[in-house]
Amino acid sequence: MQCLDIRVIVDGKALTATVPVRLLLSDFLREQAGCGGLHVACGHGVCGACTVVLDDVPVRACLLLAVQADGAAVQTIASLPQLEGCEPERGLTPLQQSFRRYHALQCGYCTPGLLVATAKFLAGCPSPDRARILEHLNGHLCRCSGYANIIAAIEAVRA
Amino acid sequence: MKPAPFAYARPRTVLETAGLLAKHTGAARLLAGGQSLVPLLARRLACPVLLVDINRIAGLDAIEVLPDQIRMGALVRQQQALCSEVIRREVAGLAEALAWVANPVIRQRGTVIGNLIANTPGAELTAVALALGARFVLRCAAGEQILAAEELIGPGRSVPAQAMVTHVLWPRRPAQAGFFEVARRDGHAPVVAALVTRTARDCRVALSGLTRTALVCPTMARLIGEGYPRVPSREALAAALTVDLTQTVHTDGACGAQYRLQVAPAVSWRAAQRMSLSRATA
Ligand SMILES: Cc1cc2nc3c(=O)[nH]c(=O)nc-3n(C[C@H](O)[C@H](O)[C@H](O)COP(=O)(O)OP(=O)(O)OC[C@H]3O[C@@H](n4cnc5c(N)ncnc54)[C@H](O)[C@@H]3O)c2cc1C
Ligand code: FES
Ligand code: FES
Repeated sequence: MQCLDIRVIVDGKALTATVPVRLLLSDFLREQAGCGGLHVACGHGVCGACTVVLDDVPVRACLLLAVQADGAAVQTIASLPQLEGCEPERGLTPLQQSFRRYHALQCGYCTPGLLVATAKFLAGCPSPDRARILEHLNGHLCRCSGYANIIAAIEAVRA
Repeated sequence: MKPAPFAYARPRTVLETAGLLAKHTGAARLLAGGQSLVPLLARRLACPVLLVDINRIAGLDAIEVLPDQIRMGALVRQQQALCSEVIRREVAGLAEALAWVANPVIRQRGTVIGNLIANTPGAELTAVALALGARFVLRCAAGEQILAAEELIGPGRSVPAQAMVTHVLWPRRPAQAGFFEVARRDGHAPVVAALVTRTARDCRVALSGLTRTALVCPTMARLIGEGYPRVPSREALAAALTVDLTQTVHTDGACGAQYRLQVAPAVSWRAAQRMSLSRATA
């Protein structure tokens, strides 16, 4: 089984690891990089639960190989304060507060990917209209909330 | 680990890639955005001996304007093409179709060329490539070759195993364009999708999803072109479509042939309506 050495910055920490080439990035992050906050649900790109930011671009961690992240920086839910441009370690971020306030999660399985993707989305498009928000949510399945509360939570934090 | 074992290569040049494909004919698979291939690997529906990751080849991520065509490299991502002013102006119909493909996160990784080559039934972009007469630049160890879209993504066609597609060439065609589709869920491959694009000289129509590979519809196009700016009735479009329907109607677990046939004229009508209301990009 072919393995490769990779160097990745995960949530600000530089890591080196030897990984089988067929290991998915999502499994590497959860099992070897200690990113318990990253969730995996469908495992084929449909649900958005595993969304992380790779060198500034949001991606599905379940559709990348760990070796493809070699030399890159990965940000998971643990980097949410940075992704929202606020101070780390200062309690909940504005998006998290809004999700809590509007009851935009129930089991929380979809939430980490959704928050990461939404932080990136709002960074690029600070005042989205309803249509843009729906297009963005298109990439995220939530089995609990019915989406109305998620939409409300995002609308409440837009500029 | 979900995928079956494979060897992995990360070539830096097209030449190196062509060499690897020649050495492992039929057993190697190229990895571009991975948005189609990785799910197949994970489900072990694809089990290549060698996976050749082309993402670190330099110079393939550009959209270049040439005198009579637009040249797009194998690493141009779908979102990049969707946001490109040049594409919007010169390749009328492509941006309109891209807006319906998957969702923004998938599009930031998925490439235009990978999507065309995957050629899944219903894929929006295949209708655009066939209607506009796109061409592909192929590279194998023996040299370079340019093939018309229908030779790679037409019925029964596929990319030769020893070749890499390095570029797609889009004819420059500022035009009016309209795109519409019906899908079971937004952001997933459509049941039927239609592209209508018109210049003062000609009108073109192609449908994806109705047949296994996208169908070019010259009779519908003539009808829409002659009636412009009025859009022909759905009945007239349905009659024209029976002339254009030269392949068997596609059917799968999601949807049967009868519904596809029924919805195709309505989808075409809406695409024509959108075209008619759009402004020419010229
Ligand atoms: C949730 C989800 C929703 C989606 N919705 C849609 C949709 O609505 N419409 C749609 O059309 N698609 C949809 N897709 C598919 C998506 O558009 C893929 O990005 C695209 O089909 C493949 O592009 P890729 O760059 O990811 O290619 P890959 O997955 O890397 O490769 C696809 C195939 O092309 C081959 N290949 C890639 N590049 C080359 C090359 N340069 N030369 C030779 N062979 C090559 C590969 O070997 C492989 O066989 C969806 C995908 C997901 C995960
Ligand atoms: S687990 Fe990756 S998209 Fe569902
Ligand atoms: S909160 Fe349960 S899946 Fe979204």
